[in-house]
Amino acid sequence: MPPRMPPWKKTLLTAALAAAVAHAAPASAEVDIPVLVPVTGFLALEGTSQRNGAVLAIRHAADRLRVRSEVIDTGTSPEGAVTALERASGRGKPLAVAASMLGTQMLAMLPLAEEYGIPLVTVSGTASITERGNPWVFRFFPGDEVTKTAHARYVVEELGRRRPAVIYQTTAYGQSGQAHLRDAFAKLGVDPVFEEGVDPGIRDMLPVLTKAMAASPDVLVLHLHSGPTALFVRQAAASAAGIPIVAGSAMHQPSTAALLEPAELKGVCAETSASPVSGGSPEIEKFTADYRSSFNTDPDAFALGQYDGIAMVLDAAAKGAATPEDIRDVLSQTTYKGLAMTYRSDGKGNMARSATIVCYDGASRIPAVAKRYEAVAGQ
Amino acid sequence: MPEALTRGLNPLLILAALALAAYALFGAGPYGLRVLTVAGVYAIAVIGYQAIFGQAGALSLAQGTFFGIGAYVTGILGSTSGFGFAVTFPLSILAPTLLALLIAVPVLRLESHYFALATLGIGQVVLLAAVEWQSLTGGANGIAGVPGIDLFGWRVGRGLPLALFVWTLVALGALLAWLLGHGRRGAAFPIMRETPVAARTLGIDIDRLRLEAFAVSAAYGGAAGALTAHTQRVVSPEVLEFPVMVTILTVAVIGGQGRIAGAVVGAVLLIHLPEWFRGLENGYLILYGAALLATIVAAPWGIVGSLERLRARLIPERPPAAPAASAPPARPTSKPSLPASSAPVLYVDGFGKRFGGVQAVSDVSLRLDRGRILGVIGPNGSGKTTLINLITGLEKADAGKLYVSDADITGEPPHRRALAGIARSFQTAALPSDSTVLEAVTAARIAIDSDIATARSHAMHFIVQAGIADLVHTRCGALPPGPRRAVELARALARQPLAMLLDEPAAGLTEDEQASLARRLRAAADDGIAIMIVEHNMPFLLPLADRILCLDEGRAIAEGTPGSIRRDPAVIAAYLG
Repeated sequence: MPPRMPPWKKTLLTAALAAAVAHAAPASAEVDIPVLVPVTGFLALEGTSQRNGAVLAIRHAADRLRVRSEVIDTGTSPEGAVTALERASGRGKPLAVAASMLGTQMLAMLPLAEEYGIPLVTVSGTASITERGNPWVFRFFPGDEVTKTAHARYVVEELGRRRPAVIYQTTAYGQSGQAHLRDAFAKLGVDPVFEEGVDPGIRDMLPVLTKAMAASPDVLVLHLHSGPTALFVRQAAASAAGIPIVAGSAMHQPSTAALLEPAELKGVCAETSASPVSGGSPEIEKFTADYRSSFNTDPDAFALGQYDGIAMVLDAAAKGAATPEDIRDVLSQTTYKGLAMTYRSDGKGNMARSATIVCYDGASRIPAVAKRYEAVAGQ
Repeated sequence: MPEALTRGLNPLLILAALALAAYALFGAGPYGLRVLTVAGVYAIAVIGYQAIFGQAGALSLAQGTFFGIGAYVTGILGSTSGFGFAVTFPLSILAPTLLALLIAVPVLRLESHYFALATLGIGQVVLLAAVEWQSLTGGANGIAGVPGIDLFGWRVGRGLPLALFVWTLVALGALLAWLLGHGRRGAAFPIMRETPVAARTLGIDIDRLRLEAFAVSAAYGGAAGALTAHTQRVVSPEVLEFPVMVTILTVAVIGGQGRIAGAVVGAVLLIHLPEWFRGLENGYLILYGAALLATIVAAPWGIVGSLERLRARLIPERPPAAPAASAPPARPTSKPSLPASSAPVLYVDGFGKRFGGVQAVSDVSLRLDRGRILGVIGPNGSGKTTLINLITGLEKADAGKLYVSDADITGEPPHRRALAGIARSFQTAALPSDSTVLEAVTAARIAIDSDIATARSHAMHFIVQAGIADLVHTRCGALPPGPRRAVELARALARQPLAMLLDEPAAGLTEDEQASLARRLRAAADDGIAIMIVEHNMPFLLPLADRILCLDEGRAIAEGTPGSIRRDPAVIAAYLG
């Protein structure tokens, strides 16, 4: 971990960097941005979103930069991620890498990235990846402490529910989210009436739903991957649970909503960093349109976060950042206004501190923004 | 040049090893070395897996679990307790080995798919523990910050040093596996794998062999897991998940089941294969799957096994010289000695056996005397084969006692009964089809002789005596029925038994072969062996047997000389008609 810099020195350096990149001629050399994401395995949906977001950012930069990029599937094992990073770095020194959103893969890649000096740009929500003092990781998606704080606050402050039943996944993603949800609820003076982990391979949610309902909750709080979220919501709708569901970020994904009928989504909300399909600005609408035309599918927050992250890297490269060290310095010390939000590192590589709650009205699969939480404390 | 370097595929394998070393030293970049290192890790896991899956023939699905446990031990002790490789590596081997010994008792007795399911279940339990025991394992996030290999102050850096270190362990592991699978133990595996029931009756303790193979596989799995923790620097539940087991199993099958070289070749190929297609994004899986399928179709015995067969067909090798036949010493005095001539060699007192609602054997008593032949006859389903199974211990009697040389061996397992002096043959000759005649007969001596060379030499003696010396290098699967019977009889005689039980030995033989068999059996009896022959072929049996016992519906309905039995009304009514 680099030594902490005094504020005055940091300001000076930031100004110098900004001046340098502002006056630099557009780079003519080819830059290498490998995309190392899981496009197979249980995280294929989310990984493909990551891939698409990164690829779209690279395409959008084509008029300013010559970018070489290879998409390498990391699968879902740490071994696959490390091998992919070795492969990518074996062809030269990448300027930065669009890195897997799977926490265990990120944890495996971190030591190698530090050794090689390659910035990892990810949308992984797993808290611990930015808690290891590694200066080469940058997360363009709010961490669990941000999203779960927003998640719990919406449940308690907006819906007025105080008897949540929490159902989470028994994966790194699930356990990290559950721990932060528990803390967030505790800070709000709420004790969940039910908590249970669910294996991603389980194909019937009725048993856990029945057990949860037996605890007499007044809200179902989910922190599950995409497929299990859809399954749970469908079975909850079928059994007329009669209480609201506030799900994790997987529920905001169009690919998750596509697995459900609009009526099944009535009253279902989800936390996320952004919901591109919900619109909000001309830039986001253009992004969504480009994404649809390029990939024939709807974008989600992971795609948008990865897009913003790679766009920030390419913006820096276009302005003269020529080495991975330059990119690291820009990412860690400057502010970037992306499509989803304005990004700035908190000193650990956490670039995003905003979260959004979106809700479905039961008539369409496009959710509406219900509440925006800016600059959520923590991380 | 030493013959060992030029035999079989050895020249090709040596060339491949040299090419791999040259690639590692001069051609591979960090990425190539990384993939090579991972291949080495899997090679170690699969070399161990060959012991239980390839050699012992048991489909264990726990190797991935042993791999994961080794990784977790290294991860936990290395990252949180600060222990170095010299401590974590042996403990990573020890922990899964102890677990294997612990679970062996309930699962090793299970057969085929039940054993596979049980080992799979164990893996699920361990995986669940790794995910849920967050304070120890880090839960689903796992343990990050596993240090690199530091051995007594020597830090093994990434890249070439790590690749060389891992591959040195591969070489040592392969050598150790060869030593363990060599000699008498190695000779026992084929018969244990292909005809486990026959193996038990040859005095081979296959439960112990399976236990040893299971423990060895666990040790190698743990070693490989430890190395994977050092190479990944992180341990998470993925190391315990089923894809690891699938990779290990696939490597073993593609490389060549039971072959050490197969483990290495399979690991190098299987770990590199997806990397060659990686640039195709998710399309690489289609090509990877197609390549695997093509390999299985083109090389059904695995790459090494198929190459061995190809070489044997294209460049036939002269079979190794048969060992010189040497007559084994008389039955050692430490073994049960022959009883006084008046006492039976083997005595069954009131055996009973029920299968569900069927009373297969009921209160049957018999005695086998030295140098005498007892014929057992009766209609189909009368309990003749069950009686042999009860005597040899393959079935457990519900009632009755069994004595050999006056010693009560009723509760002993089959291999101990064999060691007590009982040999048998089967209705359908139970010979390992892939083994040569010499290997099949040698299997009968491995529980008796002190080394494999002696066992082979003694086996050769019985092969020559049986008149089948010209078949010594023929595979048993290629033998016609007559010679198969001859080999099985030679194998039973090679046990130097006190009592020999033969189940329909004349079935399928020509008249000449029957006559030859009758002469050999009479000669064996004249040598002092007590013989019991179950047979339907009366022209063969009645002139040969000294006495006849007739069973019907599990009961002994008559016993006497062949002449008296032929006239016995009960026998005529029940069987002879």
